[in-house]
Amino acid sequence: MSVDPEFENLVKLYYRDLYRFGFSLTRSEADACDLTQQTFYIWANKGHQLKNLGKVKGWLFTTLHREFLQMSRRQERFTDEPISEVADNLPHVSADVVNRMDAQTMLEVLGQIDEDYRAPLVLYYSEDLSYKDISDVLKIPLGTVQSRIARAKIHLFQLLTQDNHRCHQST
Amino acid sequence: MNTSEAKERLFLYRGPIDDADPQFEEALAHARRDPELAEWMRQQNRSYGTIRSKLREIEPPRDLAEKIIRERPIPLRRGWTQIIRKRPIPFPRGWTQILPLAAAIVILAGITAVWLNLSQRGRHSLVQGQEIVVKGEVLDMACYIAYNMSGPEHAACARDCIRRGLPVGIKSEDGKVYLLVGANWRRGEPLNSQLAEYAAKTLTVKGKVGTRDGFAMLTDATVVSFGVETAFPEPVAEDHNIASVASFVAGKRAAKR
Repeated sequence: MSVDPEFENLVKLYYRDLYRFGFSLTRSEADACDLTQQTFYIWANKGHQLKNLGKVKGWLFTTLHREFLQMSRRQERFTDEPISEVADNLPHVSADVVNRMDAQTMLEVLGQIDEDYRAPLVLYYSEDLSYKDISDVLKIPLGTVQSRIARAKIHLFQLLTQDNHRCHQST
Repeated sequence: MNTSEAKERLFLYRGPIDDADPQFEEALAHARRDPELAEWMRQQNRSYGTIRSKLREIEPPRDLAEKIIRERPIPLRRGWTQIIRKRPIPFPRGWTQILPLAAAIVILAGITAVWLNLSQRGRHSLVQGQEIVVKGEVLDMACYIAYNMSGPEHAACARDCIRRGLPVGIKSEDGKVYLLVGANWRRGEPLNSQLAEYAAKTLTVKGKVGTRDGFAMLTDATVVSFGVETAFPEPVAEDHNIASVASFVAGKRAAKR
């Protein structure tokens, strides 16, 4: 089979990021592999329709997320929630607490957060995407993206703190 | 903007990546004037960096990129409109995800058996009726069809699968495979419980050969002899069904002891 160098370069550039995003959504290696592969499959067939090649990364993440939603057959309704309603007391979790965890534990903690909130949170943390880009990827309004990230971050910090307490109690 | 509002805004600030975002400008200016807020922001940024690095530790399987590139669809233009695409092959699943496939095979086998019965009564559309004798290996059809698994190294799995009710078959010495449908399955005496112990071993069975859409089967199957029982002394009467053969063998074993 002949190799298309452009396609190969694109795969090598983004497959890790896409896999991580897929894995954080599904928590299944096989599903994450399928989503990543399916995303590049769609790119190979429809990528030529993208006029602005600077938006390839966003396009790939959007496609993977859409495939995930189709896979899980979720019907979502998006509402705009102002960020000011987030919380009065913003929690904090120290870097030391996180440092004691491995990536698997972190994923398990993330898995406890609802998917509506988990997807923007993972993009917020692991990808160099602006809020506008995250909004485009997930096809939800900018205000909702920020609100969901803030709420998800608060929830994550609470979970990390609880997890840390459990570790201390068990040792 | 007071400190509380600035904190709320900076809770989402990640560092240089958000520097160009105007929504953080005022809050950042506030942090430059307030050392306590600046320290809180530094801690937030450290925690952001640590969580980010943890998430980026996740690595995909080594062969993922290679597989994606290898399975790349190749659009082959025919004229101006038609494009042929190659579908990606799904990645392997664990046992829990294989069970639905096995269930589908069981259902298909069941439908085939029912259809066979109805056809025998009515239209006789099957190419069948001739009684044949087949000597060969007892197969667990789900694993054999789906994954090409057979032979002694697969005996334990095949035994479990047959015992659990997955379709059972026989692979003749010339390589032809038949689904086995017992003589008494309508009376609730499935073959599985009787044949499970002989998974991956050699048996000789007799039955009426038939095919449905190219899929071969032996209906009213009965065991002629157990190949594994090399000292099996007497031929089994033709009208013995599997249950009677099994009890006969059990009696012989008890007598030897």
